Amino acid sequence: MKREREVYRNRIELLQGTLDMLVLKTLQWGPQHGYGITQALRTRSGEVLQVETGSLYPALHRMERHKWIAAEWKVTEQNQRARFYRITAEGRRQLANDRSRWDTMVAAIASILEA
Amino acid sequence: MIRWRGFGMRKRELDEEIASHLRMAIADRVARGATEEEARTAAEREMGNLPLAKDVTRETWGWVWLERLGQDVRYALRQMRRGPGFAATAIGTLALGIGAAAAMFTVVDHVLLRALPYKDAGRLVQLQEGGRDAKTFFYTPWVDLAQWREENRSFEDMAFSTGMSGRTYLAGNSAALLVGGTEVSPNLFAMLGVNAALGRGLIAEPPGFGAVKNAGTIVLSDAVWRSAFGGDKNIVGRVVRLNDKPYTVAGVMPAGFRYPLDRGANGQVWTAIELGAKDQGRDYDSEHYEVMARLRRGVKLETAIAEMATIQKRVAAQYQDAELRDDHRVVQVERYGDSLIDTNVKKALLALLAAAGVLWLIASVNATNLLLARSMARQREIAMRGALGASRGRVMQQMIVEGLVLSGCAAVLGTGLALSAIKLTGAVAPIHLNVDFSTHVDFTILAGLCGLTLLSAVLSAAWPALIAVRAPIEPALKQGGQQAGSGRRHNRLRSGLVAVEVAMSLTLLVACGLLLRTIYTLRHVPLGYRTDHIIVANLSIPSYRYVNKNVTATLYQPLLERAQQLHGVQAAGLISEVPLGQTFNIMLSLRMNGNNIVAALKTASPDIQPIFGFKMLAGRYFNHDDTPTSAGVAVVNPAFARLYAPNKHDLNSLLGLTVWNLRKDTPAKIIGVLDNERQKSVDQPSQPEVEVCLCQITPGGSVYNPITMAMDLAVRTQRPTAEMIPELRDLLRQASPELANSTFSTMDQIVEDSFGSQRLAAHLLEIFGGSALLLCVAGLYGLLAYVVTQRTRELGLRIALGAQRGNLLWLVMRQAGAMLTLGVVVGLGLAWASGKLVGGFLYGVKAHDGWTLAGAAVLLFLSGMLAAYLPARRAARVNPMEALRSE
Repeated sequence: MKREREVYRNRIELLQGTLDMLVLKTLQWGPQHGYGITQALRTRSGEVLQVETGSLYPALHRMERHKWIAAEWKVTEQNQRARFYRITAEGRRQLANDRSRWDTMVAAIASILEA
Repeated sequence: MIRWRGFGMRKRELDEEIASHLRMAIADRVARGATEEEARTAAEREMGNLPLAKDVTRETWGWVWLERLGQDVRYALRQMRRGPGFAATAIGTLALGIGAAAAMFTVVDHVLLRALPYKDAGRLVQLQEGGRDAKTFFYTPWVDLAQWREENRSFEDMAFSTGMSGRTYLAGNSAALLVGGTEVSPNLFAMLGVNAALGRGLIAEPPGFGAVKNAGTIVLSDAVWRSAFGGDKNIVGRVVRLNDKPYTVAGVMPAGFRYPLDRGANGQVWTAIELGAKDQGRDYDSEHYEVMARLRRGVKLETAIAEMATIQKRVAAQYQDAELRDDHRVVQVERYGDSLIDTNVKKALLALLAAAGVLWLIASVNATNLLLARSMARQREIAMRGALGASRGRVMQQMIVEGLVLSGCAAVLGTGLALSAIKLTGAVAPIHLNVDFSTHVDFTILAGLCGLTLLSAVLSAAWPALIAVRAPIEPALKQGGQQAGSGRRHNRLRSGLVAVEVAMSLTLLVACGLLLRTIYTLRHVPLGYRTDHIIVANLSIPSYRYVNKNVTATLYQPLLERAQQLHGVQAAGLISEVPLGQTFNIMLSLRMNGNNIVAALKTASPDIQPIFGFKMLAGRYFNHDDTPTSAGVAVVNPAFARLYAPNKHDLNSLLGLTVWNLRKDTPAKIIGVLDNERQKSVDQPSQPEVEVCLCQITPGGSVYNPITMAMDLAVRTQRPTAEMIPELRDLLRQASPELANSTFSTMDQIVEDSFGSQRLAAHLLEIFGGSALLLCVAGLYGLLAYVVTQRTRELGLRIALGAQRGNLLWLVMRQAGAMLTLGVVVGLGLAWASGKLVGGFLYGVKAHDGWTLAGAAVLLFLSGMLAAYLPARRAARVNPMEALRSE
């Protein structure tokens, strides 16, 4: 059990920067609940990215604490009660920030790999 | 918003959120054509370990530690309920240690770190002049302090004061009240940073000659205002009489304000100093003042000391008289708080604090041992927790919280113990020791107590916890049962701890033994006078009533005659100060027979000799033939004779010598040598002393004023003290109402009180030593009882194989003996090393006294063996069948 937890933590850390960015990006299209975010990420990535529950919810709650996103309980179209997250102004700034850092990094890595 | 919602609610919310996630995942799969069953399994597999996910999520809230702490505290309380005996022992042990330390710390805090009732008191200093030898310091004449004020840059302000001479009586609404009176410079209160609570107090005016704004005004302390004037709100502006002189009340100081701090317990009054002709020079006649100053913000004490040293060179140069110049060479600058503490008391208290610290250590070690024993017994439980995934840190935390809960309970109990101990000690402590035994608890003490508690918990719980969690999990689980994990290493560790306890207890016992022997020796020092059946009244004399009268003829002689006629009084006499009284001191410096002589001066009536049974070594004592008009007489003591007799081997050579002139043309000739050794303290020889006959002290004589200011009435009677005192008090009241304030004691009590710090230390050490012994015995018993329980099977097997029961008894006793021997050997070393600490308080016994060391060691060893006998007997009585079957 203990080792398992370590693994979870590691995965969160590996994904930390990108997962936050991806979640924020997903929320830019409109408020969404946790399951919806998982589905959106999966379809948009062409079924490549599968976000673990054990990573998603800690990330969502952490971002909520940072006030990048806000949450409220609503009812889905299928009449399910779910906690919907929406991006805040702070979150948008954070996203822009992450995005530019990501772009710089991708460009840098690409230039190394292609040299 | 969410942040403020309750923890439980958020937890439920998270559960619901994850549940809705699961529902949606299942619904999606069902919509795509899977059966309900398949969908649930697939979704659950995909989502993984949900409780863990929730756990990790909750951790992001940053609240989990609180939740866990709550769990741990609840768990610890449950543990305590399950094993009340264990909890009671651990808490009792720790409470004893914490209580002793807290009590000593409270007293030390009040005495050594006491909060002065002034603003920012840390910057207040006292300045005194002294000779180059820097041993004796004197108050300061005005001209010197005026120069200091003028030239210094270190101090914000400098104020000065002087106690009113003689006893001061304030006429109140109903009766005259004995008060502490001080004349102060008008800026004193402002410098102390305390304003009058009522009225405007003294008007700030530059101190100097002809300062008049404050003339004839008086400021009262809160206590005086309440007791003498019933707290009259319109007191300001009223005229009151101080020593029969009228003063206008200018203000009342706030409650708790005192200056000087060490005088005037009944209440104080202050008037402004008026400088006069005596303040213009630097000679023997000059008035001398106590000088206080406030350091400028940011100026260090060392800086001020250096600056004052420079200034003082210029000041001293202005002294014309060479001897006086030598006496004023240097300036001592001392924090006011430090100047109030008696070094002897300070040393005694610090030594006792150390003793209390040792007791606390013993208690902590004992508690550690107890917890260690329990952690062994709980090894299986701890291993199980580890196997279920609890991290080592988590188990550690839980066990330390358990320790904290135990220590917390102990701290509450210990505080109660400490407070009642202080109250009890305060009731028996000698008054003149001037130690504050009030049970007032302030922030420092609370903080200290919390620190002690935390430290106790960490010390007693952390180590066992560390050992417990470091133990490998598997063997503990495999073996199971009570017999598991009784590693030799751990038993050795626990034995070591018991030995440490024994060693520390022995140190305390030795210190206690040494002090008891000191007290015993002091009580048996031949004093040279009788102390039984003597009642002593330290008279509180209203000197002001006798300013223009002959106090000897109008007060003392009639008083004496009436006291002698009182029923049951065998003899009554007057003396400036009874031996060991520590109430009065006049030093006489004069020339006799071509020698410079320094001696204490006293006056006494003839009856003093039979009352105390003083022996005469030569000549005679005063008698009723000595009258105001007969030839002047004086009596000296052996210390005087040893230093100043013309022929050291013949005391008679002193007789007939003139000591000095009582009055012009009335020489006082030595008529006898009185054997009064031990007049200042029992453990020190007497200083030279001259006594003159009371009836010959008349107005106009050279020492009339100082020597008639203080007087003790001594009465020899066979009647019970409690019966005599009211009658004597009545008699005094009739002579003058103020005399009813006199304090009564018996000579036996005065001797007992003179042991002061030794007696206090001995009493406290009896308690500390006794507690240490108790803890030690309990620790030893606890360990052996545990070991015997653990080894039941082995013991049973031994018996089954033919061991004699005596062998088993011997087996356990041998183990106890080894621990005790180790502890005693180390303890003797410790006691030897700590000899220096107690050395200063001993009399008639050396710090390395063999008898005391041996006695304490034997006492400890025997008590320990006695404690070991019970578990040993149980070991010998083990029933082999039961022991083997119980597995």
